[in-house]
Amino acid sequence: MKGGWFRGYTIAYLIFLYAPIVLLPIFAFNNSTTVAFPLNGFTTLWFGKLWEDPALHRALSNSLIIGISAAVISTALGVFASRASTRYAFPFKGGLMGLIMLPLVLPDIILAVALLTVLLGIGTPLSLMTVILGHVLVCTPFSIAILSASFQSLDHSLEEAAYDLGETPISAFRLVILPLVLPGIISSLLITFTISLDEFIMAFFLAGNENTLPVYIFGQFRFPQNVPVILALGTILVCLSIALLATAEYFRRRGIAKTGGKDTGGFL
Amino acid sequence: MTSEKPTMSGQTMIEFKDVHKYYGDYHALRGITATIKAGEFFSLLGPSGCGKTTLLRTIAGFEGISSGVVMIDGKDMVSVPANVRPTNMVFQSYAIFPHLTVEQNVGFGLRKDPRSKAEKAAAVAEALEMVGLKGYGARAAHALSGGQRQRVALARALILKPKVLLLDEPLSALDKKMREQMQMELIKLQRQVGITFILVTHDQEEALVMSDRIAVMFEGEIAQLADPETLYRRPNSRKVADFIGTMNFLPAEILSEIDGKVEVEAKGFGRLTLDAEQVSVAPGSSSASIGFRPETLTILFDGQTATDRESRAEVVEVVYYGDMTYYDIKLEGTTEPMRLSMRNVFGRPVLDIGTQTRVAWSPGALVLFR
Repeated sequence: MKGGWFRGYTIAYLIFLYAPIVLLPIFAFNNSTTVAFPLNGFTTLWFGKLWEDPALHRALSNSLIIGISAAVISTALGVFASRASTRYAFPFKGGLMGLIMLPLVLPDIILAVALLTVLLGIGTPLSLMTVILGHVLVCTPFSIAILSASFQSLDHSLEEAAYDLGETPISAFRLVILPLVLPGIISSLLITFTISLDEFIMAFFLAGNENTLPVYIFGQFRFPQNVPVILALGTILVCLSIALLATAEYFRRRGIAKTGGKDTGGFL
Repeated sequence: MTSEKPTMSGQTMIEFKDVHKYYGDYHALRGITATIKAGEFFSLLGPSGCGKTTLLRTIAGFEGISSGVVMIDGKDMVSVPANVRPTNMVFQSYAIFPHLTVEQNVGFGLRKDPRSKAEKAAAVAEALEMVGLKGYGARAAHALSGGQRQRVALARALILKPKVLLLDEPLSALDKKMREQMQMELIKLQRQVGITFILVTHDQEEALVMSDRIAVMFEGEIAQLADPETLYRRPNSRKVADFIGTMNFLPAEILSEIDGKVEVEAKGFGRLTLDAEQVSVAPGSSSASIGFRPETLTILFDGQTATDRESRAEVVEVVYYGDMTYYDIKLEGTTEPMRLSMRNVFGRPVLDIGTQTRVAWSPGALVLFR
């Protein structure tokens, strides 16, 4: 009964992974300030409270500004790095790319503390800008990972064919390379935005007086009566994240299908 | 292919003058000097790594040269980038833009063309018809078969009416039948448009079938540049002879040399005199040998007599191919088997291994390497 054992393991694993997330909406709609069974009754009160909280609005707009900025900057950097690493040969390429990808596995808290020390040392005031800086550092490796796959699958002759047919390097990039890597770029924007949106450590250390959404959520847990409100917020965030990642994956797959390639993995 | 073409004007289209190319320490092109005539079907033939693709790419402008001159139609190309050279290329991978339709691919090079939209569409339709893809215009490029991609690549290059069409091993990805069909179509197409075609290939048969002239390349140098018949009948070195078709080599001894005529003695053939044009001198070779193609020796059956010379031989191997039979024979007094091919004729027996026979040959068909 090898198959049965594996099936049981799989089910247990999925329950462990998703049961807490499923509990979020259950208690978000529960008419009680204490998070416990039995359920009391249905309410949308907590979502209403969310709407009225000015501190939350502030945190949300901060997070959106940071998320969009970090996504755009890290994707732009990702395009440059991926193009360079797949198209050109340069000395110490392997080592350099390794260093660029390293923040992917370095503990965020180390990065955050190091960055904070440097920023304070050179006297930079903490602000949204410093959080964006930290998030770009965290997001760029993800962007490179996604975009390298897009650039790697491009046949080098396509670019030469465009030159051969009269295009300059710039117009060849615009007419041939960009359309072919565009799904990867969209995918990178969405994923880096999602990462930035729920990043906590960098935001906690580098935001100064400003709050981002995760930092705001963490702060609210000090007040037990606010917990259901946070669960309501969590419900919205989970739905949003799933929607964003699904969209990113849709674009990535559409890009592959459009060029007649074979799917070789990806994040989802 | 020695047929005369009305478009062949004999003018020089491409000229290489002592072209060298280094990749770091690697000497990829070692002093290429050659001319390619306008309207010619020219092939660069050689094993992989011989520099033939590099040479083609120096014409396209994808590869700079370290020294020397590349001229196209009388103009030095040194400062002319690829996108304004009067050449177009069919890539080995075809390089069809996968995000565009067949029509958009073929019309890609017309973006800056001042003609009206309708005129351009007509040109695209005409180009598609020329390569046998009429009605395929709206198809997605990635949904095409290998042969169809090849045709799109051809149409896309030819629609710009280049002075030179460059073909980088365009048939190597196709299966044998498709390849033979495309060879014929390319020959016809070239006659029809009259554009200079330069083909890179490692397939000697393909080069022989398609080309007006062939440059055989080894290790960054042109070993011989000649028409297919000369290359086949009078290869200028053992290396070229080995690369093109099958050639037998029989050790020989040079007896005398008077006014270019060489008198040699070879076991199996006896004493014979060869003309100067039958003798090729390769630098660094110490021993002489006589080379001959399998079909230049003919087995004599009962009652037949040789019109020129004949030798005694023993059959040591027989390979039957239907239309042909290949025999390995040992000429009298020799130890190495020689390959001989005979067209099968109805009513004539295939000889058995061990048969003692006579073979007819003619000194004019031999080549001396030394």
